[in-house]
Amino acid sequence: MSDRPVLAGPVPAELVAIAERHGQVVAAGDNQATLADFRPDRTGQLAGSARLPGRLVSSRLLRLEAEPDGLIAAFIRYTADDGSQTVLRSRWIRLEEGWRVTQVRNLPDTPPVIAAAGPRDDGLDRPHWEGLRSGEVRVQRCARCGHWIWAPQPACPRCHGFDLTWPAVEPNGTVYSWTRTWQPFTPELSGHVPFVVVLAELASAGGRRLLGVLRDGDGIDVRIGQPVRGEIDPPPSPGAWPVLRWRRA
Amino acid sequence: MSRSLRGAAAVAGIGSTAYFKRGTSPHSALRLTLEAILAACADAGLDAHDVDGFVSYANDLSEGLAVGAALGVREIRWSTMVWGGGGGGVAAAVNAAAAAVACGQAEHVIVYRGLTEADDGRQSYGKGHFPPLLSAHGVLTPAQVCALRTQRMLEVDGVPWSALEALVQASYHHAQQNPDAVAYGRPLDHETYAGSRWVSEPLRLFDCSRENDGAAAVLVTSAERARDLRPVPAFVLSGVQGAGPDWSESAENNAAYTSAGFHPALVARLWAGAGLRPGEADVVQVYENFSGPAVASLIDFGLCPPGHEAGAVMTLPNLIAPAGALPVNTAGGNLAEGFVHGIGLVLEAVRQVRGTSANQVLGADVSLLLGGPVAPLVSATVFGSAATL
Repeated sequence: MSDRPVLAGPVPAELVAIAERHGQVVAAGDNQATLADFRPDRTGQLAGSARLPGRLVSSRLLRLEAEPDGLIAAFIRYTADDGSQTVLRSRWIRLEEGWRVTQVRNLPDTPPVIAAAGPRDDGLDRPHWEGLRSGEVRVQRCARCGHWIWAPQPACPRCHGFDLTWPAVEPNGTVYSWTRTWQPFTPELSGHVPFVVVLAELASAGGRRLLGVLRDGDGIDVRIGQPVRGEIDPPPSPGAWPVLRWRRA
Repeated sequence: MSRSLRGAAAVAGIGSTAYFKRGTSPHSALRLTLEAILAACADAGLDAHDVDGFVSYANDLSEGLAVGAALGVREIRWSTMVWGGGGGGVAAAVNAAAAAVACGQAEHVIVYRGLTEADDGRQSYGKGHFPPLLSAHGVLTPAQVCALRTQRMLEVDGVPWSALEALVQASYHHAQQNPDAVAYGRPLDHETYAGSRWVSEPLRLFDCSRENDGAAAVLVTSAERARDLRPVPAFVLSGVQGAGPDWSESAENNAAYTSAGFHPALVARLWAGAGLRPGEADVVQVYENFSGPAVASLIDFGLCPPGHEAGAVMTLPNLIAPAGALPVNTAGGNLAEGFVHGIGLVLEAVRQVRGTSANQVLGADVSLLLGGPVAPLVSATVFGSAATL
């Protein structure tokens, strides 16, 4: 078995040793040396971007890949004392002071799991979440005038009727807008940034727009108007709630 | 009796603390607020015991009655909190104070905002605006919502990226002349701006407002009283606040999605109330939570054309004092002066009318304040010199 990393494209020879050493200092829990490898204007963002298990025992540089934008991607696999393995992809940039990490993420690309998912305290949106449990995307609609309502309301803003229904809709939509979030604003986002959030417009719900994380959005060029299809992620734990995701159709 | 606010009230005093790096204020938000109010009263030459009204916004933790008690004022006749909308309440708070003095409910009304991370917590400006239909998808902050709006403004409306950068560069340019600005002595070049880290695409670090500890206040009084107190009052010519149809708290279903929220009826009311033609402002303080929504604000008010043509107006030479066609954020704004929920923009709007800005616009008689783009509530105030009355 070879320990030599795969080199894809024109990868500078000196980067092999640099990336291997980076893996070693990360695995050794040497925070000072780890931070010294980060691009200095974004150490905080980078430190919060990746998520690794607590006690690492080894690292292995799997692959170095030259990318079209001039960055070099390093795929490093970390092994924890319980045998679990985590792969991080760091992207390296050549600065005056040397090679530095300018981006880092966990692989595979997984959406953040947010504990606040589920009905809001006043229960206005509860039928939507319960619909997800039964595999359906439900959107509020006025029984009297047919108006589609999102975010959910206690009464129809158009006709002031209180008889509100929750029909299941076809979760086919188009991208109305999108953003790729890089900043790990809370610890729940660590290990999942960057991730793409899509605001999708649903013709089946009168053009109402629903938010969701785009599955497999890593490195994807998203365009407004692209078709997406909804998928429902099962609850991450018993008692938690399923969540709507989008995937490029 | 006239129902117009025009010229009935004026700002007669302004005061602020320093902008501290967030989390580093040596004092509580209430203490900072008191310091700012005392400075505003001193500026106006008013005994702070004579303040009889308080207005704030964005759920400021220092309630008006508590502030009045701390100051030992003789009487409180008016205490108002603008509901909702975070920084969108900043001009609305000025308008509420002006309305109070215009109809005789109070005589000396303080508009204030104080903020410390120790008292208010991190990202207090977003509290309550991120229910599970947003947060479950990792949308936890105003940056992400404003990124979604900005992305569509760029990609569909065709507003060029350069418009965003020009607004940011103007703020940093102005901050270099303002010793009180956080970015004083720290100019921003194109490479640093364009090479800065993504926060949430299409917004980079320098497209995003700072967060600071601090407080600021202005004293609003009747026009007659203001003439006694200060040689150069900043008269309130007009004020509007509100939310257009299908705007507020709709989980990103706002009808005019790439608008900043200043809907046409509100904009028309502002200019008509001020007795001005649309766009007739000499200088603009535009709230920049993020660069994109600030550009959208200028478009909403007709100060900048929509779409591709925005790039022709949004250039650094146009946006800077003393002689640009559309000077904006002349103290550095939330981006480069400092951020206490936008209250600093009010003070700078007043300074321009007084002629005391560090980046004074030549002949600035009409000074426009725009508050809180993309927030559930937006608001605006036009200040004018005596020559405009």
